[in-house]
Amino acid sequence: MAHDTERLGDLLDSLVPVLVERLHETGLGEIEIERDGATVRVRAEDLGAFVASAPAPTVARGGVPATPAAPTAADERRHPVRSTAVGFVKLAPDIHVGGKVANGSLVATVDVLGVAVEVRADHSGIVAKLRCASGDPVEYGQELFLLESVGEGKL
Amino acid sequence: MIKRVLIANRGEIALRILRACRQLGIEAVVAYSEADRESRAVLVADEAICIGPADAKRSYLSAPAVISAALATGCDAIHPGYGFLSENASFAEAAAAHGLTFIGPSAEVLERFESKAEVRALLAKHGLPTIPGSDGVVPDEVAAAKAAAKIGYPVILKASAGGGGRGMRVAQSADELTQLFSLCTQEAQAAFGDGSLYLEKYLIDTHHVEVQVAVDKSGTALHFGERDCSVQRRHQKLVEESPSTALTPKVREEFLTRVAKAVGAAGYRNLGTLEFLVGADRKPYFIEINCRIQVEHPVTEMVTGVDLVALQIRLAAGELMPMTQAEVERRGHAIEFRLTAEDPVHEFRPQAGEITTFRSPSGPWVRFDSHLYAGYEVPPYYDSLLAKLIVWGNTREEAIARSRAALREVEIGGVETTRDFFLGLLETPSFLNGTATTGMLDAIGTADILAAAPKARA
Repeated sequence: MAHDTERLGDLLDSLVPVLVERLHETGLGEIEIERDGATVRVRAEDLGAFVASAPAPTVARGGVPATPAAPTAADERRHPVRSTAVGFVKLAPDIHVGGKVANGSLVATVDVLGVAVEVRADHSGIVAKLRCASGDPVEYGQELFLLESVGEGKL
Repeated sequence: MIKRVLIANRGEIALRILRACRQLGIEAVVAYSEADRESRAVLVADEAICIGPADAKRSYLSAPAVISAALATGCDAIHPGYGFLSENASFAEAAAAHGLTFIGPSAEVLERFESKAEVRALLAKHGLPTIPGSDGVVPDEVAAAKAAAKIGYPVILKASAGGGGRGMRVAQSADELTQLFSLCTQEAQAAFGDGSLYLEKYLIDTHHVEVQVAVDKSGTALHFGERDCSVQRRHQKLVEESPSTALTPKVREEFLTRVAKAVGAAGYRNLGTLEFLVGADRKPYFIEINCRIQVEHPVTEMVTGVDLVALQIRLAAGELMPMTQAEVERRGHAIEFRLTAEDPVHEFRPQAGEITTFRSPSGPWVRFDSHLYAGYEVPPYYDSLLAKLIVWGNTREEAIARSRAALREVEIGGVETTRDFFLGLLETPSFLNGTATTGMLDAIGTADILAAAPKARA
């Protein structure tokens, strides 16, 4: 566990400032990234102050948060975009963290035996977290990425 | 050599195939629809993949979804189970085109054995007696009436592409035949995408007897004895047993040998079942072949000690028959009861909902194949099979006595089931003396059978 604690310290030192800056830039409510099996989540509080989510970023094996955070306004603005087929996914070029997505736009295709099945966004927003990479096998209904809705003025 | 199998089915058979794979040291991935996320096969599998929504047309019946799932999970074979895509030649062909082993007969074999009318003619040529019927498909009402007049009423109209008892109608007269023909054509078109029909003489007081066979790629064909599936409701099997009470020992051995020889010579490969009707004259007439593992296969497994699903996988992998006919020893008597989520008090109305209590029977020579557990939600989208109780005894009487004891141990709460119907059946004289025929439920009636069931403890 000493190793984990040490690694957590390193992660916080190196990542948090970058993530906080990124939050400012994108106007997102929350950013979560995985690094070496640990998950760091930085969340903007409702009042607009940017802080690391208290008391400490969630760290869990396998990238899954150990305890799900209580729903917040930020969570409610998050919409998982799910695969519409089983096959191999290809994300659209603008699908990266911070990328802007318009409602109804083509965000990915799933290759089903050579046929590209479309995945379209059902919300507008900004990509908050990727859950897959192009070329990955995906199942039907699998979360491909998280979209965070922002005010119309910010898009 | 098969290394990793995609199990493209659900319910108890998905679990059964998973067990066979594990026993053979083969990896398995369970493919499931959104409605089956909490199914037991998915929960106990090392790996599972969601292939589509609850609607079977977009999941279990979607060839692209199933094949794509196999490729996405790195499988080299697909086991289709029964129903769904299990006997679909174009699916088998597409799987092979993607380098996947289809666990069943090849596309060519499935195609050859696809049309019931043609299969009847083919197997008749190889020495199997068939029921007098139309010479293949009857194209219209006039041709049907002409064929029926030659055969003699009553006749049964059947969908050439049909199965599972669907698309069948009995006509007692020429008038009735004319009325039923277009209805039957429409039903067959809707259910199977093919409206073609053929005619057969409708035999009364028949036993439904079927022969389990397996054929390897070299054409070596073995039989594994017969099953009697005469207790049916609207052509749906309720109880199956082996051996059949309708065959005398002398008829049986000659018949079984002849069936294995014919099916091998006709070019059939992998596991299959040939269905026969045995009328009052005790002669078996061939009616159709099922090119898949069947629901009732455990009856044969209990009597022969052969794992049929494992054998099916090995044959699909290209192995030669691992045993000889003489090594297939049949011992004792086995009976299977299909416990379904149906309410026998109300016309076997299908049930869905949460299983609130679940207690499975056990004890010597009792096998219980089920995907249920307390808290499981029976989805309304698929067939209503909940569990199969299979009981073995040295004699039929012993198997029946054990079946009574085992059925009493079954407790499934939350949905109505057919358990009490079977308890009643086990007190019904025509079942007990082995004379029950396919018309039994029309003759006796569900209410009387239910009334015969011993009362549960208050």
